[in-house]
Amino acid sequence: MKFRAERDSLVEALGAAGRAVASRLAMPVLAGLLVSVTNNDLVITGTDGDLSIKVELEVIGVENGSAVIPAKLANDIARSLEPGAVTIEASDESVSISAARSNFSLRTFPVIEFPQVQITSERQLSIPSAALADALRQVVRASSNDDARPLLTGVLLTTHNGALRLVATDSYRLALRDLDGSAAALGEEDILVPSRALTELQRAITGDEDEVVGVTATASEITFSVGNVSISTRLISGTYPDYRQLIPESYPNRLHLGKETLVGALRRVRLLVKDNTTPVRLSMRQGGVDLKVVSQEVGEGAESVDGDFTGEDLVIAFNPSYLIDGIEAVKGDEVIIETSDGTRPATIRAGEADGYRYLLMPVRVS
Amino acid sequence: MVDRSGELSPAILLVDMDSFFASVEILDDPSLRGKPVVVGGDGQRGVVASASYEARRYGIHSAMPMAIALRRCPDAICVPGNMARYAEVSRQVHEIFADVTPIIEPLALDEAFLDVTGAVKLLGTPLEIAHSIRYRINQELHLDCGIGAASSKQVAKLASRSAKPKIVGDRVVPGPGVYVVLDEDVLRYLHPMPVRALFGVGPTTANKLSRLGIETVADLAGLDPSMLERHVGSAVAHLIVDLANGRDDRPVEAGVKNRSIGHEETFSQDSFDRTQLDHRLRRQAQAVSSALRESGQEAHTVTVKIKLSNFEQHTRSLTLEEGLDDHQAIYEVASVLLGDHDISAGVRLMGISASSLRPRGGPKQLHLGLDAGSTADPLVTQEARFELREALDDIRKRFGKQAVGTANLLGEDGLTSPGQRDVAFGAKELPQILGNDEEI
Repeated sequence: MKFRAERDSLVEALGAAGRAVASRLAMPVLAGLLVSVTNNDLVITGTDGDLSIKVELEVIGVENGSAVIPAKLANDIARSLEPGAVTIEASDESVSISAARSNFSLRTFPVIEFPQVQITSERQLSIPSAALADALRQVVRASSNDDARPLLTGVLLTTHNGALRLVATDSYRLALRDLDGSAAALGEEDILVPSRALTELQRAITGDEDEVVGVTATASEITFSVGNVSISTRLISGTYPDYRQLIPESYPNRLHLGKETLVGALRRVRLLVKDNTTPVRLSMRQGGVDLKVVSQEVGEGAESVDGDFTGEDLVIAFNPSYLIDGIEAVKGDEVIIETSDGTRPATIRAGEADGYRYLLMPVRVS
Repeated sequence: MVDRSGELSPAILLVDMDSFFASVEILDDPSLRGKPVVVGGDGQRGVVASASYEARRYGIHSAMPMAIALRRCPDAICVPGNMARYAEVSRQVHEIFADVTPIIEPLALDEAFLDVTGAVKLLGTPLEIAHSIRYRINQELHLDCGIGAASSKQVAKLASRSAKPKIVGDRVVPGPGVYVVLDEDVLRYLHPMPVRALFGVGPTTANKLSRLGIETVADLAGLDPSMLERHVGSAVAHLIVDLANGRDDRPVEAGVKNRSIGHEETFSQDSFDRTQLDHRLRRQAQAVSSALRESGQEAHTVTVKIKLSNFEQHTRSLTLEEGLDDHQAIYEVASVLLGDHDISAGVRLMGISASSLRPRGGPKQLHLGLDAGSTADPLVTQEARFELREALDDIRKRFGKQAVGTANLLGEDGLTSPGQRDVAFGAKELPQILGNDEEI
């Protein structure tokens, strides 16, 4: 195997594929990246066994072939080379990386030990990447990072009235987003995708106007392709909790506010929160809402935000960060907070229905 | 002799009940009076938790293996122990303390520090106060105690031992009951004592000091702590040198909450049975959760400890964002922690402890009811469980621990609701816990 590539695009490709490489290794070879050249096409693959990232790059091919090169070291070296052309050539048990007057020779891993990364295409759909990026930004943050509850570390892809629905919850809050008109090809089966893969997908989406994310899935794996990057992951198996029963059909109280004003006020009172147990209290009343954080050792902060309120006056407390998460994810300038009482979930959504909903459990205060 | 105890400032008393568990047993069963009584488990691994002075004449003392105790005195009467009863009597003792001062720091069921500085104007000198406490405990509860008085906790604690009866040969020599150490006498009092007498000097530290030729408090008092740091660590070095020089300004802390609440059992026989361990774990979780709720706290960390028959010890812990006080939740976490632990060597001891304690009733992040079935309203269930626990606690407080419990604790003799400590010490059938009420 031998090829020549431009340093910057090589560094970018090594970095992107390297993000799948795990820090704790089940097998030594997983510390490597599979690099394959066919004519002028270079494919770099990194995997931790569950998640794989494959990056394609056009290069000047000299000799077809493959090698598994140490991910971190190769990346570090490529990044520190002088700008310009880099030549990579593999021999039996080593690979040389050279540019200008630099020349490095690194030990490689046997290609045969690298796990085969398959990309199958049973169910296919394509989603405009801007819309998907929006949905991911709104939903992924609500998933859990507690490995004790593996189901909640994923994002559910399901269908709802013909729309593709994304759902994530960490059991304190639940975020949901419907993407119109893109679900038909998904089929009946729910798919539970590890959040980590979707975080990588968010990085890979460039935001170009016409960009499309291709999705292919089998019963156990899913692949997202965008631009020159493909991200494949093993799906989480199991039955996702029945989230639908959690969403109240209607609420007695509704507060309508300007989003930026509210987020600004919440951020200021949150400055007083020094641990993750101090809540922000919202006193909802005719004409708006009063926010208050009382932090025992530190002091207290209060803000008042004007808005429209209908319903019974109510005091309800939330984890301020969870609340800000949900409000920030709203698109547009207006936000609606709907509540029942101080111990039941509140819903946050945009001023106009747009398929996004964020359900948040309050903090019980005495 | 002139009573100069009024000079003590602060005036700290350490009240230590005499042979507390054994004395309560004798109180409840007068036929035991005058006989050698030992409280503790008579199983293979039973340990003496308390011994009457008659038993001590034979050289029996607490923490001694029961087998050895019975060899020294084959006629000794072995009583299994009833922690719930001792706790009840301890509460009565504390009511007497509370008439004197609100600043009470319990060390154990049978031992507490009292800061009586503020009571001197009203009730008399510390010596007089100490005598009146002894008198009331004796008259009202028919129990004896020894009281040490000094201006520091360290010295008050040591003085309480000087106040107690002593065994000389095979005779019991009554002590003075109250022993006061004035500030000017502190060094003279402390210096002849072995280093072991000091707070913070356990057997390990004592051995290290001994290797350095330091045997008595006087040996220690003359040292520069930096010379010891290498051997016993900086914190301990400074602490013990300070104590040896009579410097101890630790205040009596009323209402100090435990930093952890735990329940552990040494099994009378090693256990190889995961199901049996699981059952014990569930009981321990119940004991810990009721102790937690009694203290008005919830735990953010749960630790499971097991000791295998080869004395290999393993602990695993998990810290959670959410505070727990519910036995089911504690059990679930503990069960995960015990997990697939290799128990093929046999488990000798197992315990759960709850730490990172915070006051209960603080803000609590509620959960979405993800696990509930679709028929029940999950939020109602969550709140209902909370209210149910509150109600059960209330019933237990008013009618006793055996008044109500879950069906898995129902045995032939009714409920065996586990308290944190009311399991006998190494009895044959029941798991054993270690405890000792005093040292002579």
